[in-house]
Amino acid sequence: MSLKRLLLLILSCTLIAASAQSKTRRYNLRGVVVETKPATNEVVVQHAAIPGLMPAMTMPYTVKDPNALGELMPGDAITAVLVSTDNGKTSWLEDVRITDKSGRKNAETPKTRRLAIGDPVPDLALVNQDGRHIRLTDFRGKALLITFIYTRCPLPNFCPLLSSQFSKIHDDLMKEPDVYKRTHLVTISFDPRYDTPRVLRKYGLAYLDNDKSGFEQWDFASTNPGDLRKLAYAFGLEYSEADNQISHTMVIALVARDGTIAQYWGAQWTTAELERALRQQASAGTP
Amino acid sequence: MKPRRVMMLSGLIFGTLALVRAGSFSGAAMGQEPGRNRHGQGDARRGLDVFVANCAPCHEQALPGLKVQPPQLEGLFQKKKLPSGAPATDAQVRRTIMRGRGTMPAFDQRLSDEDLKDLLSYLHNLK
Repeated sequence: MSLKRLLLLILSCTLIAASAQSKTRRYNLRGVVVETKPATNEVVVQHAAIPGLMPAMTMPYTVKDPNALGELMPGDAITAVLVSTDNGKTSWLEDVRITDKSGRKNAETPKTRRLAIGDPVPDLALVNQDGRHIRLTDFRGKALLITFIYTRCPLPNFCPLLSSQFSKIHDDLMKEPDVYKRTHLVTISFDPRYDTPRVLRKYGLAYLDNDKSGFEQWDFASTNPGDLRKLAYAFGLEYSEADNQISHTMVIALVARDGTIAQYWGAQWTTAELERALRQQASAGTP
Repeated sequence: MKPRRVMMLSGLIFGTLALVRAGSFSGAAMGQEPGRNRHGQGDARRGLDVFVANCAPCHEQALPGLKVQPPQLEGLFQKKKLPSGAPATDAQVRRTIMRGRGTMPAFDQRLSDEDLKDLLSYLHNLK
C-alpha cells in the first residue's frame, strides 16, 4: 500500500470514527420559514446549504420550544442551530432567531388552498409521455395516486426517491392483475419547459425497467404553465424556479375511484402507507 | 422508510464523505501544479466544489430508497469502461453528466461549460 493510500485510509477511518462516536453535532442554519406546523412542533424551512452536512433544500425541522415556534410566521428569515444526534437519526432546531420579518406580508397570502378531502379532482388536460392528452378525471373507476416531480431534480431524497418508490409500488401491483387494473399512477412534472413528452418518456422508461407497457398503468405528464399553477393550487403544491433550480414541496395525493380526493401526504410518508391506502381505495365498493 | 430521517442521515454521511474526498483530492494533487492536471484546462480544485455540490449527494453514499444505486466514482478514468459499460472517455462522461443516463438526472441546465471542465479535471484526479 502506498504512503498516499495509507494516509487516506487513516484519514477516512479517523473521520468516519469521529462521526460515529460524536453524540451531538451542531450546525448553523440560515433560511426562510415556509410553513409552521404547531401540531407536530415542526417548521418547514427553505434554507441555504449547511456546510459539511447538506446542500440547500426545503424540509421540516422539529422545534422543541413551543414558544419559539409560536413566534415564527411564513416568510420570516431566520437563523438557528441545527442539533443532530445519534448519527443524524434525531435532530431539532435550537436558538431560533428571526432576522427579518419583512417577508411576512407576502407569505401570509396563501399561495395554495388545496382541495378538501371529498372534493372532485380538477378536470384539467395534461399531456403525457406519448404526447397524448389525458385528464385526471379519465381515471374514474380506478384508485389514483398522484405526485409531482421534475426530472432534473438532483436531490436523491426528493424526486428520485418519489419516482423510485412509485416504481416499487408499480412493480408490486403488477404482480396482482386484479389490483393492477383498478389502480393508476400519475407523476406530474412542474417543469414543462424542460420536461417535454420525449424527456418524460425517457425518464419514465428508466423507472419502468424500459418496459413501455408500464405506461398503461403509470403516466408521466405535464401541462402548460398556467394550468400547472391551477393544479398546484388545487393540490397544495408550492414550487418556484430561480437560477435554473426549482424549490418545491412534496405532495402525494390519493384519489378515490369516484374521482374525489381521498388522502394527502407531504414530506412524511412511507411506501407501505401509500401502497396500503391505494389498495384500500382500489377495493372500496367492490364485491 | 422515513424520508426525513433518511435526509438527515444521508446529510451527515454526505458531509463526512465530502471531507474524505477533500483529503483524497489533496493527496492526488500532490506534486502537481495546484488545481491543474493534464486533462484539459479545468481547475480540479474548483471541480471538487462542483463535485460536492452536484455529484456527491448521490454518488458518495448508500441510498437504499432509490431504484438504482448510483455507482461510486473512484478511479473512474483509471479503467477502460465506465460503470455503464461505455468507454471511459471525456466525451462519454460529459454526455452522461449533461444529458443524464437512466435514473441519473441531466445537469445541462445546472452546470456551465466551466463547471463541467473543472469537474472533469477533478474526476481525472480520482484514484
